[in-house]
Amino acid sequence: MTAQLRSELRKMRSTRTNVGLLLGLVGVILFGVVAGSFGTEAELSLLDDQRELVGNGAFAAAFAALIGVLAMTSESRHGTIRATLVFTPARPLVVFAKVLASALVGIAFGALGAALALGAGVVTIRGHGHDVLLDSGDIGRLLLGTIVMAALWAALGVGVGGVLRNQVLTIVGLFGWVFVIETLLLRHLPDVGRYAPGAAGTAVTGDTVGDSTVDLLAPVTGGVLLAAYALVFVVAGAFVTSRRDIT
Amino acid sequence: MAPLTSPTIASLPDEVVVVDHLTKRFGRVLAVDDLSFRLETGSVTGFLGPNGAGKTTILRMLLGLVRPTSGTALVFGHPYREHSEPARRTGAVLEAADFHPGRSGREHLITLALAAGLPASRADEVLDVVGLTKAAGRGVKTYSLGMRQRLGLAAALLRNPDLLILDEPANGLDPEGVHWLRVFMRDFAAAGGTVLVSSHVLAEAALTVDRVVIIGRGRLMKIAELDELVDESATLERAFLELTPGSTV
Repeated sequence: MTAQLRSELRKMRSTRTNVGLLLGLVGVILFGVVAGSFGTEAELSLLDDQRELVGNGAFAAAFAALIGVLAMTSESRHGTIRATLVFTPARPLVVFAKVLASALVGIAFGALGAALALGAGVVTIRGHGHDVLLDSGDIGRLLLGTIVMAALWAALGVGVGGVLRNQVLTIVGLFGWVFVIETLLLRHLPDVGRYAPGAAGTAVTGDTVGDSTVDLLAPVTGGVLLAAYALVFVVAGAFVTSRRDIT
Repeated sequence: MAPLTSPTIASLPDEVVVVDHLTKRFGRVLAVDDLSFRLETGSVTGFLGPNGAGKTTILRMLLGLVRPTSGTALVFGHPYREHSEPARRTGAVLEAADFHPGRSGREHLITLALAAGLPASRADEVLDVVGLTKAAGRGVKTYSLGMRQRLGLAAALLRNPDLLILDEPANGLDPEGVHWLRVFMRDFAAAGGTVLVSSHVLAEAALTVDRVVIIGRGRLMKIAELDELVDESATLERAFLELTPGSTV
């Protein structure tokens, strides 16, 4: 397992893909914080709006999901899966090593995303002449929640990628689900929607979903539920990967 | 190019590869039909057949990538996936395109070396063997087809294998590369290694292999020492065309 994990971590840093994702994350968070501060100058004095501003760190989870998806599906796309499985025929081991490696990189993205959103948020709030009302509880929840959410989404990305195999299909499916279907669910069937993976993940940071008034799950419940989704998809991905012919 | 490191062979069983009543169906297509053959140690066997004959499917079943519908495919006495460290004894080159275009040749090899529990420095040793040291730091997208074949071969050599399974390794090689590959395979077999090399380039196969396994429509057409086959039919090409009717090669 250690050998395969080292191999997967090396794959993570031997292309420019994850550097690109990191730059993308920085850009999205800074844009989110700056955009969130415009037109709401008065409201930035309120605690809820300050929380929402630094909550932009949660974008790290979407990037972590991409890391996981790409770790799995780029091997099918470029054919490297053949050499990988000739060297390590124990296919579940390969999938689990990808889960661990993606989760570790996801944790780094989560920590960086939360710290960046917090730093940029505080500068922005002060720049508008308001006092920062966030306390250590808010900050701890933001940091820890974002890290947990990013790690779990990275694992979920590997699992879904293992089940669907096709890179474009996986990315469109995953993001279509979270940003389109879950949005509709939360709006029209909130009692179902709050149990969906995206909403469960958002609950971990104690955030609300955009401007909706849906009550999300408690952070710990959301985290456990998201972990359960991740586990189901990782096991399914390992199973499907083990069964199929690599042609 | 650097001299080869000779494979280390420790008390091999005689039969390196055993294919026994092997059959594979993809849906309604019968790709491999009740095929049996055996390979002994220290030889270069040409795996010949027209395109679509099932060569690639058979090689992938030997490597545990494709699951047989029935029958067995064994390397060193066991199905590939049941060995604890299969790559230590078996190296494979399957397709010249199997690389991430943005990853350098050296990094590609390092990811595989690490998976095999080898130090990253092993990558530089095999790069030297195949003569890719200068290009090692560049992305594979800048490599010619021949360079990709060499990189694939370098990966196959990482664990100093006793058996090499090569699927059309001469594709894209220039004449110098073809000559180098031939010498490489001969030296590998002379040191006690076993090579199973598929090809549809008969002229090249005739210069390289000791024996041929000829496949047509998923079935075994002929297994013979090259010299017997050529005695019977004057040339490998004529033997091949007689054995695989309808072939366009």
